[in-house]
Amino acid sequence: MMATHWFDGHELADLTERVAPGSVERSTDAACYLKVEGLRETMDTLRTSAETDFIFLSNLCGADYWDRLEVVYHLHSFEKNHLGTYKVELIDRDKPVVPSVVPVWHGAWMQECEAYDLFGIEFEGHPTLYRILLWEGFPGWPLRKDFLSMPGGLQPGLNEFAGTARRDEPPVRTVDE
Amino acid sequence: MEERDSLATDNWWDLRDLSNIAGEILDLAERIGGNELAFIVSPIIGFVAAFLIFILPTQLFLGVYGERKIIGRMQSRYGPNRVGPFGLLQPIADAVKLLTKESYTPRGADILVMYTAPIVFVAPAVMLMAVIPFGPNMVIADIPVAVLYFLAMASFPVIASFMAGWGSNNKYSLFGAMRIVAMTLSYEVPLVLVLLGTVVITGTMSLQDMVWWQSDNNIWLVFIAPVALVIFFIAVSAELNRTPVDIAEAESEIVAGYLTEYSGMKWGLFYGMDIAYALASACFAATIFFGGWSLFGLEQWVPPWILFIVKVYAFYFLFIWTRGTLPRLRIDQLMKFAWQFMLPLAALNLLLLAVQRLIVVEAEIETSAIWWLFGGINLIIAAAAIYGWAKVLGYRRDEVPERPRLVKEVGGYVPYDSSKGAR
Amino acid sequence: MSNFVHGEPFVINIGPQHPSTHGVFRIKATVDGEQITEAEMVMGYLHRSMEKLAEERTYTQNIPFTDRTDYLSSMANNLGYCLAVEKLAGIDVPERGDAIRVIMAELQRLASHCMAVGAFANDTGAWQTPVMWSFREREKILDLFEMTCGARLTCNYMRIGGVAFDLPEGFVEKTREIMASFPAFLDEMEGLLSGNEIFITRSRNVGTLPPESAISSSLSGPMLRASGVAWDLRRADPYCGYEKYDFDIPIGYNGDCYDRFIVRLEEMRQSVNIVNQALDSLPGGPHSTEVPLSLRPPAGEAYARVEGSRGELGYYLVSDGGPAPFRFHIRPPSFINLSALREMTVGGSVADAIVVLGSIDVVVGEIDR
Repeated sequence: MMATHWFDGHELADLTERVAPGSVERSTDAACYLKVEGLRETMDTLRTSAETDFIFLSNLCGADYWDRLEVVYHLHSFEKNHLGTYKVELIDRDKPVVPSVVPVWHGAWMQECEAYDLFGIEFEGHPTLYRILLWEGFPGWPLRKDFLSMPGGLQPGLNEFAGTARRDEPPVRTVDE
Repeated sequence: MEERDSLATDNWWDLRDLSNIAGEILDLAERIGGNELAFIVSPIIGFVAAFLIFILPTQLFLGVYGERKIIGRMQSRYGPNRVGPFGLLQPIADAVKLLTKESYTPRGADILVMYTAPIVFVAPAVMLMAVIPFGPNMVIADIPVAVLYFLAMASFPVIASFMAGWGSNNKYSLFGAMRIVAMTLSYEVPLVLVLLGTVVITGTMSLQDMVWWQSDNNIWLVFIAPVALVIFFIAVSAELNRTPVDIAEAESEIVAGYLTEYSGMKWGLFYGMDIAYALASACFAATIFFGGWSLFGLEQWVPPWILFIVKVYAFYFLFIWTRGTLPRLRIDQLMKFAWQFMLPLAALNLLLLAVQRLIVVEAEIETSAIWWLFGGINLIIAAAAIYGWAKVLGYRRDEVPERPRLVKEVGGYVPYDSSKGAR
Repeated sequence: MSNFVHGEPFVINIGPQHPSTHGVFRIKATVDGEQITEAEMVMGYLHRSMEKLAEERTYTQNIPFTDRTDYLSSMANNLGYCLAVEKLAGIDVPERGDAIRVIMAELQRLASHCMAVGAFANDTGAWQTPVMWSFREREKILDLFEMTCGARLTCNYMRIGGVAFDLPEGFVEKTREIMASFPAFLDEMEGLLSGNEIFITRSRNVGTLPPESAISSSLSGPMLRASGVAWDLRRADPYCGYEKYDFDIPIGYNGDCYDRFIVRLEEMRQSVNIVNQALDSLPGGPHSTEVPLSLRPPAGEAYARVEGSRGELGYYLVSDGGPAPFRFHIRPPSFINLSALREMTVGGSVADAIVVLGSIDVVVGEIDR
């Protein structure tokens, strides 16, 4: 068997447009951007279609580009042995919402929780979206670029010298709004 | 009980029977201080002798040091080798460490129950030793229902374990307590049945008389009823929480079971007495199945108590061996094994032995060679019964091979066709 | 089952401090007697926010971080990260560097699987013997690592463009010696466990995962292969010259814990095979290309993955042209393999849950990062 075929963005956009018409927003060299609306149906089509056969969700993660948030999907096919990079662009930083793909791939369950935990991306339709690594009520979304200037976000450094910090207060400063 | 020839001479220096020297000392005490002094001296002698000859070396240096060392060698590591020569003082260092550790009591624990549990656990372990015959005259209490006594005493730890698990206010402890009660109740039944078989054969419940019976007939009970020994070993392992069936304190599942919240010497008592129970069971097995202190006439020359101790150690080694080798069963599998597999076998064993005893008694067969014949028959029947009963229960060897399939090409699911074999 | 007895649900916390969770991981299990009716995973006790930390450090400085994710297979982590950076910056690795990487990655797989099978046997209740035997063999491999790079666990050996140092003198002979004795250890383990009736009863048909749900749950590595899916990135998407080596991919029969165990054992045999081949064909030449200390890859992104010991270990890097990655994401196999934990444990007993968790072979440093 040949080595994995890594689609480049434009090639993948063509393929996707063929399989699921009207789902592609734009494409770059690296990835094919999908429309947020109907994402789950698009993904389901991509999974079941014989041409794409993306039955394996290799990776799902968020990314922050200052002006927008992105969700990255690396999808793989075992039979055809090809890999495609899909992205979803989220302009609204305050309340980024994207349809969950858990019904399509159960493996997205924990990865979406992680993206929610660290980027604050809401996955609509996720069965149990909770902060998987941090605790509920952790201020801010740590992997965002503007984490340090978020309202209620943490500031690096301790108030006092380490070890002398009082136990009853957390040894961190918060930024007042 | 009829008078028997003592195996040893009556000289006090005859090491083959330590009761002579004890008797000399008691006579001396009686001459000096009368009956009262002798009455005080005799338990001291018993205790000192038992402690020096058996309990100290066995408990510390077989039970703790030996077990750790042997398991260490099985696991290709050294085992204790730092404290004292060859690490021999390790048990003492352990004991000192346990004594100096904090004896922690969790909040919400039922203190009365939790603190009483080690005591309830320890007392029967010491009392078990009373009925074990170390030599023809060397037995502390030769009571006529020693087997019954043993079973009664050996059931005590269950109560102690349940108290420990309940009193600790810990969910893991409760799990362990529930498991041990369920398990012990199940395994008591086959255990009693196989011991009943030996009682039927020998016609006595006194351990000393059982040894005499084996010595007179020149046969060990293990040759007459081999399957009884196997069932006894498994059942006793289960009662003692030894590894293949140690689900009550399964380390990897429920942390330490009913011992989770115990620390310091409270835990140390449980640990030490676990070994004591295992030793007592080994003593019991050596007495009932391996002829106790007798060895086909050799006991005339070698001190019988040494023979006995060697047998005990050999049996105890089996415990260590299984502990170092076998994985653990799940509780439902364990229960199934007890009720479905061991119980019918034990019943069959009892039936066979009863019939054979009846034949011997009714036909008034005097020769003991008949028992060898019966032993052979029993062995064959046991093998057939184990095999057949396993078949009946639907046991078969796993059809799926022990090596995975090997493929060269990747790309999706490869269905398994069992007809084509592994590769 | 207990319709006539009403009581509160009995919740038992398996972890975070528990002998069998292999770290600070917690399963909140609701049990009905011994049967688990609901299992909830709680993690994050070891979260160090490596992905954020990595955005502050240069590409080379991030290599030691990757050691600390999956601390049982640090070489594979190094390799995955370096491959991603090389893909991002378009750096070629000399042949000798590739061969050394393959040797190290396979040795690391051996060491990691030693731990996996030993700990798994421990979870089924074999009291320490298999794990001690595994550790005996693992020590030898860690000695090789120590010989090469001075560290045993967190090696930090791979570099962008190759490896940090050339192989030391005597390494090849020593490795050959160990590889020659390794199959004997595997036979020993098989003799102790594979045919053991109790072991089979405990692990056979426990935590069974059909291939469809294994794929859907994004499982990878031995977990996926045990379900009968022939998938191995070393063969499917060769990196570091894996296409040159001849090896087989072991796959299981019905995806239960026993299959995962035997698949791991067989993978170790194949790894020994690969190491031997790589040693035989070890090319000369430089072990690394010159890479500027403050590497500034062009803006773009790269996703590289390797077949780590626990599965597909991916690194997703985004560069904005600066000296530090703009986005650094790890696709941790043991984290994603846990997706199927609930499916495998609910309905089984507590003892089964422990066996299942042991068969997943989790490393909590990697789950929490």
